[in-house]
Amino acid sequence: MNRSLAFLSVTKSFGKTLALDHFSVEVAEGELVSLLGPSGCGKSTALRVAAGFENPDSGDVMVGESSVLGSPANERGMGLVFQNYSLFPHLNVRENLEFGLRVRRSSAAVRRARVTELLELVRLSGLDDRLPHQLSGGQQQRVALARALAVEPRVLLLDEPLSALDATVRVEVRDEIRRIQRGSGIATLFVTHDQDEALAISDRVCVMRSGRVEQVGTPRAVYRYPATPFVARFVGRVNDLAVIVRGVGIVALRGSTSGFSVPQSGPSSGDARLLLRPEDVRVVGLSDDALARGRVEAVHFGGATTSVDVLLTPSNQTVRSTDATRNVRCEVGEEVGVVFDTERALLTREP
Amino acid sequence: MMSGRKLWWSVLVVVTVFYAIPMVAMTRFAFQRVPVIKLSWSNVFDKWTVAPIGETFADPNFRSSALLSIGLSVATAVLTVLLLVPTMALAHLRSPRVRRWIEVSAVLPFVVPAIALVVGFAGAFRGTAPLFIRNPYGMVPLLVITALPFTHRTIENGLSSIDLRTLVDASRSLGAGWNRTIWTVVAPNIRGSIATATFLAITVVLGEFTIASLLLKNTLPLYLAYAQGQNPQGAFAVGLVLTAISASLIGITNGIGRRSRR
Repeated sequence: MNRSLAFLSVTKSFGKTLALDHFSVEVAEGELVSLLGPSGCGKSTALRVAAGFENPDSGDVMVGESSVLGSPANERGMGLVFQNYSLFPHLNVRENLEFGLRVRRSSAAVRRARVTELLELVRLSGLDDRLPHQLSGGQQQRVALARALAVEPRVLLLDEPLSALDATVRVEVRDEIRRIQRGSGIATLFVTHDQDEALAISDRVCVMRSGRVEQVGTPRAVYRYPATPFVARFVGRVNDLAVIVRGVGIVALRGSTSGFSVPQSGPSSGDARLLLRPEDVRVVGLSDDALARGRVEAVHFGGATTSVDVLLTPSNQTVRSTDATRNVRCEVGEEVGVVFDTERALLTREP
Repeated sequence: MMSGRKLWWSVLVVVTVFYAIPMVAMTRFAFQRVPVIKLSWSNVFDKWTVAPIGETFADPNFRSSALLSIGLSVATAVLTVLLLVPTMALAHLRSPRVRRWIEVSAVLPFVVPAIALVVGFAGAFRGTAPLFIRNPYGMVPLLVITALPFTHRTIENGLSSIDLRTLVDASRSLGAGWNRTIWTVVAPNIRGSIATATFLAITVVLGEFTIASLLLKNTLPLYLAYAQGQNPQGAFAVGLVLTAISASLIGITNGIGRRSRR
């Protein structure tokens, strides 16, 4: 696939803080890539550099085969949707959508046709004359998306467009964005701190930390095969257990003597952390070949999935399982056994 | 101990009376054909006339000074808006340091007396650009500076009350240059503040005396000061009309401000 947007070793600092540190990522044509990371990891800075609102200290930003660093923001042809409602408050929906077209001196007929088409696309036909403050938050963000698409940008940049919305509307607008992005085939960069959002919407996720890329991959790959302990902890839920390394590929829970095998990478002696997804922890009966035993501390009934917290004895750590075997009674206070599937677990010294 | 409400009312009454008495006295002096010495409660309704206004309007000196003052007001208001809106918007976006610097210099006219301003201005331009001093419109930059403490504050409030960065970024990403962004996106969203700043600039110009007097320009306030000797009733009448205009400008501004906040 042709790359549409590419960051090539972009570095940007504000005073003494390094916001982007040799940051490189590519977005192919038609692809949606999210930048995911905690606040202050540089994801918004990356987007602002691409949009032309910040100039990088070094590195390059390419659209197609040419660098865009020489052009000012208003000549880059990128569509932007912001976190804060950014519709022009003094213009109605139609005028907001026409803004970019007027700048490009499109004729009245072209503008009218385009606005009708866009309103249909975001399913807001008939709201042409509303002012932004007469729309709900979800509607405002859909108009903002339509406004960004009006000028047929080569790249779409979305800066936490869902953060200001409440939970149900958020999912609705999220799916809408994905549907429209798929339909239009525009390369899209989606900035978010919400991992559920990133996993649900993206073709690929780029996990960032302190201005650097930790891992880029499909949502499944990032979740199932995290490259670093940071990614494992940041994306999805993880059991973070204190263990003692007994030998290459053998660990025991701290305070316990029975060892079990883990993947061979990582430290080969001393204290370490074992990172394990909740679905890789199984609750079994006491009689089975349990790796550890403990008492059920809490049961979180979540409809489709139920998760169980087990306080392990004697190591005194809580582990969460989303794979409670159905024939085991899981009630608070019950004594149970626990089995770990350590195939995809990560062993690390990083606290 | 008075209740809060009572206190509020008594302060309001005292202040109203304090301002109303001289206004009433001025009105009677200007518009009643009764010798000042005989003005009393008994003839409050006698011999009212608007003739003094007509007499003043008939004076060609009045007409030329009124036209000049109107021209100066408009020029000052326009220059103020053209200078302040883009400069302050850019300072908001780009540099908090410049913003503070503008804030401090904007209140300088409160500190530096107008006479110092004029002496410096005249000294600097008499030799280099005498036309600037001879032409009455050369005063406009000085009037812009004099009005700055009021106009700056108003525009500043307007810019702080909107999400300037997002609006500007959105506009630029849609392809608009700086000029278009400032005048079609920022300005309409602070139109209440711009209207207030405009009216404040006009009121300052209509009341400005020192600069015009020192530069020997025949503006309305100077004419009024001169006419008090010739036609005192007419001068007071015009003064009252000016007060009424200023008051209604403030009323209009409030109305616009309220509408744009809806």
